[in-house]
Amino acid sequence: MKLYDFVLSANCYKVRLLLGFLGVSYDSEVIDFHPGKEHKGEAFRLINPLGHIPVLDDDGYVLRDAHAILVYLASRYDPGRSWYPVTDPERLGSVAQWMAFADATASTASATRLHVNLGYDFDVDERRAAAHELFRVADEHLWFGERTGNDWFVPGPLPTLADVAVFPDVVLAEEGGIDLMDYPSLVRWTGRVKQIPGFSVMPGVFPFERA
Amino acid sequence: MSDVDLRDEAPTGWFPVATEHDVIARVVFRGQLDGRELAVWRADDGFVNVWENRCLHRGVRLSIGCNDGNELVCRYHAWRYANRSAGCTYIPAHPADAPSRTITAQSYAAVERYGLIWTTTNGDEGSVPDIGTLSGPRLLLRSLPVNASPQTVREHLGSHRFLPAALLETGTAASADDAEVVADHGESWVTITADAAGESSTAVFFVQPVDPHRSMIRGVLADAPADEIPVLRHHAYELGRLVRKIEEAVEEPAERTPPRGFETPVILPANPWGHQRATLSMVVDRKAAVAADIALFELVPEDGSTPPTAQPGAHIDLHLRPGLVRQYSITNGPGETDRYRIAVKRDPHSRGGSAFLYEAIEEGDTIEVSPPHNGFPLRRNIPRTTLIAGGIGITPLIAMAQALDASGMTFDVHYFVAAPQQIAFRRRLATYTCEFHVGLTPAQTTDTLLDILGTPTPTRQVYACGPPPMLDALKAKARALNWPADAVHVEYFENTNEIATDSSFVIDLARSALTLEVPSGSTMLDVLRANDVPIVSSCELGACGSCAATVLGGDPLHQDVYLNDAERQGGQVVLTCVSRASGERLVLDL
Amino acid sequence: MPIATRETTDPVLDGWHPIAASGELSMGEQRRTRLLGEALDIEIDLLGNASVARATAPAEPLPTHDRYGYLWTCLGEPSIPLFEIPEVDEPGRRVLHAGTIGVHVSAPRAVENFLDMAHFPYVHTDILGVEPFTEVAEYDVHIDSINELWATDCVFWQPIAATTSTEGQMTDYEYRVPHPYCVILYKTSPIDDRKDVIALFCQPVDEERIEAHMFLCLLDASNSTAMIRDFQLTIFGQDKPILENQYPKRLPLDPRAETPIRADKVAISYRRWLSDQGVTYAVIPA
Repeated sequence: MKLYDFVLSANCYKVRLLLGFLGVSYDSEVIDFHPGKEHKGEAFRLINPLGHIPVLDDDGYVLRDAHAILVYLASRYDPGRSWYPVTDPERLGSVAQWMAFADATASTASATRLHVNLGYDFDVDERRAAAHELFRVADEHLWFGERTGNDWFVPGPLPTLADVAVFPDVVLAEEGGIDLMDYPSLVRWTGRVKQIPGFSVMPGVFPFERA
Repeated sequence: MSDVDLRDEAPTGWFPVATEHDVIARVVFRGQLDGRELAVWRADDGFVNVWENRCLHRGVRLSIGCNDGNELVCRYHAWRYANRSAGCTYIPAHPADAPSRTITAQSYAAVERYGLIWTTTNGDEGSVPDIGTLSGPRLLLRSLPVNASPQTVREHLGSHRFLPAALLETGTAASADDAEVVADHGESWVTITADAAGESSTAVFFVQPVDPHRSMIRGVLADAPADEIPVLRHHAYELGRLVRKIEEAVEEPAERTPPRGFETPVILPANPWGHQRATLSMVVDRKAAVAADIALFELVPEDGSTPPTAQPGAHIDLHLRPGLVRQYSITNGPGETDRYRIAVKRDPHSRGGSAFLYEAIEEGDTIEVSPPHNGFPLRRNIPRTTLIAGGIGITPLIAMAQALDASGMTFDVHYFVAAPQQIAFRRRLATYTCEFHVGLTPAQTTDTLLDILGTPTPTRQVYACGPPPMLDALKAKARALNWPADAVHVEYFENTNEIATDSSFVIDLARSALTLEVPSGSTMLDVLRANDVPIVSSCELGACGSCAATVLGGDPLHQDVYLNDAERQGGQVVLTCVSRASGERLVLDL
Repeated sequence: MPIATRETTDPVLDGWHPIAASGELSMGEQRRTRLLGEALDIEIDLLGNASVARATAPAEPLPTHDRYGYLWTCLGEPSIPLFEIPEVDEPGRRVLHAGTIGVHVSAPRAVENFLDMAHFPYVHTDILGVEPFTEVAEYDVHIDSINELWATDCVFWQPIAATTSTEGQMTDYEYRVPHPYCVILYKTSPIDDRKDVIALFCQPVDEERIEAHMFLCLLDASNSTAMIRDFQLTIFGQDKPILENQYPKRLPLDPRAETPIRADKVAISYRRWLSDQGVTYAVIPA
């Protein structure tokens, strides 16, 4: 299995996280996203005409888009069906709902990070304000989860793709100038995700405990 | 409405800075009070620490560090800070050094009440509000941040409405707007009683001043409903409405003001002259027999304070009576910071100290105690450590064993005793890799030490404490086996070792007209202090330059990192904390 | 406040500063950047020549210099020559731009972090350091005849010192600070007797923000550019959250500040060296 990957990409990190949780080994095909802009080059357009990473190549089956890859990997490599609970319509719906929420954090929190780190041109104040609105909602959701013994975005004993999809943009938000101080439940949840067996870090993300 | 303006009054008094849900095990919570950022963490013994949120070394937020249950570890260079005392216990870049006692983080008092963590950053004046309404059953509501000044928030809280809890449990369709409310403004909180449909509920909303433009509303309901969730949801919703109303009504800057105090660097206070000689009055809180002829004493400060930080290997001086000072190793593990635990052996040949302590000192007695001094610091950069104890020499080693265990490092203990009933700390040692060597003859002891040492490797070190003949044998055998001298560390619990004289020298103090001898093992700074010569110091590691003295004669042997080459070659200034004389004498302008 | 509007003898004003990686500028491109608190416009003509001017004074071109793969400019009198890196002309070396990353920190904080070995086991765990090998051995610091600051005889145990590493090694480091905001590292190559050259050129956007340009001059002929950049971006990406959680953001020059220890010898010297030169921008003067 090959992942077209860039170390500082939050979207690639989603896939690396799930591969770690599932214990699936893979090869990382490093794409020179920055500064080389290799993902916009002609060679890479053969792999993904949209010019985005990540892209997964699983023995010839090529799939683009982080969330699509998460769905594929969980459906194929999680025999327990806990990460993507297809047998439980309500939980499956909730997973989809929070993955859509992660699309919103990608266009807000993640965009501010690209602006600060790599100079992408966004109206950063507007996107920060929008990210704060999202994080308020997520923090309240998780606070009530804690009161009812639910550790994860989708209530239940085990984490789902919702947690994987939301985690990178939250844990990297401060790089984009979004202070997480007002979201203690969200911060505590990132600590719980970090304790899931198979968790991996990326630059900008500290492990739960020191190595 | 109260006329107290929180914008002006915020620094004084006690405020909540976190909830009990925020300070869960192994987590460091980032809070803020009146612009000052706080690292709030609960140790495994339950104590809640509230510290300024900066490492003393390079100013990195401590809240991104690790709470290992006993100590807070900075993320940048892993400086370790102790539960309660906030003193630095270990600097991994210099494993062989004991950190100076001046390296202590700024800590604030903390009190838990109503499910909230309270602190004050402006001295201990005043106290946590005592709200009679909350003395009975209560429910901690969801705290909500508001981008508005505390004063504005308090004003708006006067119009806050909610439904009595009893109505929510029965699933009524009533609206909070139908409730009759009475608001009572306290100093920094608002008590609201809501009446509707013959039911009533009271809640207290504390306003935490986060910074001049931001606040946190922390509500507590004076009731304990059987079904909490609908009540919590109702309050979160109604308070959320209020927050949006407030934020629409006020124009506060979107950009946060930088944390107060963070615009200037950490500078530790200079160590005042004489500081190190001061003793602390400590009370024997507990005395218990732990083995034949061995008593454990637990000493707590008489004034209820936290005693100064001790590192593994450190000892304290007990001033038992005029002219009778004895040193005892601290046996505490990491995080055990509210008291010193020492073990005292009654020695029939004792010249007074231990016999006096063992027999005459009882629970409730007061002893003058020096701050800890560490002449036996523990390296934690060697993969395997062997601890070798002879009799009561177990005391510094049991502290080391606990520190190594807490850091997850590999170590083994060898404990030599004359008889099984003399084994102390048996229960704790049972959880470690520990071998007891009981009743051996001197020759058997020597053979066993030879076996324990084995072939030296760069990945192993030895710490030993015990009677002088055993340590002498250990050192001789280590030499014979080609162990490097710096891999075998010994501490004599009786001071019979020869003091090397080759590195002692004399300092002449030109202005004080004093001639002082600096013996091996002491620094110029120690000797100056002991002789009441005023001199300030800070890092005491030769790095900050605070303790510099002008050299009028003689050649300094510089061992600092502060002076530059020109200053070194010029030879006119010396740092008294680490440097020495290269000859027999230095003349200082002191 | 922009430095140029201050009454100052700060050498930073008359120094050269990087404002873009040359390879990333294309013909006909116009780009806005910031330096020392001022907006600058960069324009590349159809022959590939760069011109730089203040946004407030487009008709007054600023001096430019294209070296080491970066475009440099100066807002004052360019009286201080740009430092030399002779290794770029040696045969068998690869000169490479590894990336530019924006960081919310002052330039001297970033330089000081680059000079620091003690954080390797904790921030670059399993790459540049690993516990329990945490000790920083004594090393030498000196200022050479052209007033460049050096730290020499630095050694540290590293599990993966470079992309060419196959096992852990005791790595030799030499650090060179030729410019208040630029720092160069000479590091044992796992495959050559010569040393790899790794540099951080900070573009001081303002006193508390930088664009960090990462320059490499390596003996690695085998790894792809993408792999080499991946290694450097990983390392710098690990430093970034530390730097952004450091307060104050400007570097304090008071020698008593921030509890220095022996391992900080080069940082102590760097702070004094900045003080001695009269640097006031992006620092808190003593």
